[in-house]
Amino acid sequence: MRIVTVPRDGVPVTDARAVASDAALGKQFSVQADVVVVGSGAGGSVVAYEMAKAGRKVLILEAGRYQPSANFTEHLGDTMTQIYTDQAGQINTTGDVIFVEGKCVGGSTVIGACVMQKPADAVLNRWASEYGLPDLAADKLAPTFDLVGEWQGVHVNEAHEINSTAHKVIQGCERMGYSWKPVQRNVKRCALTGHCLAGCPSDRKMSALVTHLPWATAHGARIFADTHVTRVLMKSGRATGVEAVVRDPDTGHIVSNMRVDASVVVVAGGSIQTPLLLQRSQVPDKSGQLGRNLAVQPFTQVIGKFKEPLYGFRGALVGVQVDEFVESHGYQFISGLAEPEQLMVQSEQGAGDEHIEYMKSYKHMAGLNVFALDEGRGTVEWKGGLLDGGKEIKWSPSRSEFNNIVHSTSLAARILFSAGAERVWLPTFQKLHADNVFDLDEQLKQVDYGINGIYTFRMNTFNSHGSARMGVDEYTSVVNPNGEVHGVSGLYVADASIIPEPMAVAPQWTVQVLAKYVSDKIQSRASSHFVS
Amino acid sequence: MATKITTPALMAGLEPLSRRSLLRGVALGGLAFSTGCSRLFGRKDAPEALKYKHLSEDEIRTITRLTEVLLPTEQHGLPSALLVVPTMSNLDEMTGQMQPQSRELLSLALWIFENRPKMSFKFSRFSKLDDAKAREYVLAMQDGAFFERGITSTLKTFITVNYWRDSRTWPGLDYTGPVTEKWGVRRLGNAPLPLV
Repeated sequence: MRIVTVPRDGVPVTDARAVASDAALGKQFSVQADVVVVGSGAGGSVVAYEMAKAGRKVLILEAGRYQPSANFTEHLGDTMTQIYTDQAGQINTTGDVIFVEGKCVGGSTVIGACVMQKPADAVLNRWASEYGLPDLAADKLAPTFDLVGEWQGVHVNEAHEINSTAHKVIQGCERMGYSWKPVQRNVKRCALTGHCLAGCPSDRKMSALVTHLPWATAHGARIFADTHVTRVLMKSGRATGVEAVVRDPDTGHIVSNMRVDASVVVVAGGSIQTPLLLQRSQVPDKSGQLGRNLAVQPFTQVIGKFKEPLYGFRGALVGVQVDEFVESHGYQFISGLAEPEQLMVQSEQGAGDEHIEYMKSYKHMAGLNVFALDEGRGTVEWKGGLLDGGKEIKWSPSRSEFNNIVHSTSLAARILFSAGAERVWLPTFQKLHADNVFDLDEQLKQVDYGINGIYTFRMNTFNSHGSARMGVDEYTSVVNPNGEVHGVSGLYVADASIIPEPMAVAPQWTVQVLAKYVSDKIQSRASSHFVS
Repeated sequence: MATKITTPALMAGLEPLSRRSLLRGVALGGLAFSTGCSRLFGRKDAPEALKYKHLSEDEIRTITRLTEVLLPTEQHGLPSALLVVPTMSNLDEMTGQMQPQSRELLSLALWIFENRPKMSFKFSRFSKLDDAKAREYVLAMQDGAFFERGITSTLKTFITVNYWRDSRTWPGLDYTGPVTEKWGVRRLGNAPLPLV
């Protein structure tokens, strides 16, 4: 019997510096593994753990750097420049939507706000019936949701985790008669610092950094950071490994070229990076759907200013959610006010004295974050050569999506006014605010759809998904019901890309469940993938 | 649609750009990039420019002026955005880490922002406008056509993020900043391996 010991702290990682100083590796080296996992976030870490636990030799390749949680400073600005993709500036082609993504060991689980939500049973059952995915039916996945929930320490926020921002939202909902409930989060004994977006320095957030990655390494998995996979290698319809470059994260210089020979390749880079890698690799795509159907769940933030100081940035970052409109309209509202830097990204703050006054109101502010269901019309495409090309993300709101954003913004503003807000700032590129609910609609009327709705609302997405969707038919989907790319044996996808349609909830829990599901499918086909 | 643009823009003397003017501006910008015109974007050896590795002299001039307009911090008892907080160094460092595509967009945005007033302010560039006019111009751009709003918001975000991220600015907001160490919060380390 083998004794498995999880490190007390941190994760053993081979980074660019270690590769550079290892003479045995040199400028070019190759590694063999049973399973190579591309990406170490919510999906990749779960697959790595499951495969390593099953006795497979697992290698995890992560493009971002390794930032041990002991090094988190709770400075959001610094964190954004270090472990967010493109310094939190990953944008669409029109430059008005930011696609927020973690680029570090642990991926977006490290910088997420800990919100854990399950899709409604009706949604999962629709995946089963309409997309031919019976194994994803609610009753089939329920045990896996429970298991992942237990791993992640998911719990409903308790009273002490409801901060002053959340209390204002509750107050507004009670007056409006809207349904609300405490958010479920994957935090263990939350220290209530409010700095989730900058990483949790005390290891209370159950990110992959403190769960599946150390567990996977305890079972023998090996992690390479600063390692960008350029393409998946394939031969005769089978995945045979990957090619990658190890780059110095500070200079961008290539330290070494790497080749991994593996029986199974699992791509888990998230809904932006995964289709880009598969496109660079020129995987067969009979459906033409690879990189399409990107759902963005556009996120805007409505800020209310209250007479009394709230210090709404203190306490647990997210407290409550307004679930009144999830079923009927597909949008939800979550309370939360992050660091001052976030305000710069979310709303228009004036200039000069007006800007300073706005910022000096910070302690009087409460934030209500709006997540709207979209139609999944976004695209991700790799343009240019393997090494010198670049990504192109396209998404702009359709007129109906735009109208949804207007409506949901209006509802969020009304909730804050009902809670007593003296002023509400609207999340628009125009400098708009309303000082009472009667003024609100007039202000919102000024936001004109214009040309494809660009530069209207200041939108981000934390929850994009669906760009390599799962389905039975190789002419309408990218991966089969096992998560395996149609037409390429041994090439699997295990991240938010495979979610078959736009959904209205935060996807992390679903992604982890799907990653466990894909791992089980790989194991069930072990005899055709692995020699032993 | 036209009346919406004209109200604040007209007040600032900022005439709406026609579609043709916009295309001309963008084409000019594009030409400047594609030819790598050193007089427009190249770094010269001005002493102030040498402090920064990634921003050109012209870009520094535009950003400095915009920072002065956006962040009159000293009048409000906050640390100076140009003399105390290294806003410009932060911006320069961030620029150095940008993807090539984003870097090009930033250059284009700065070029347009700097030169847009030539069409409405008697051929003056943004960095040459006096305080009052510069402020009027920023406000007019903010309420202008979609691309003017986009450029202005992007540049404002770029600058203000790199000011407010500095901990010296936080006491002025009554923002406590990092607390884990201050509160002596114990690190919990890795979660134990699941039993099953």
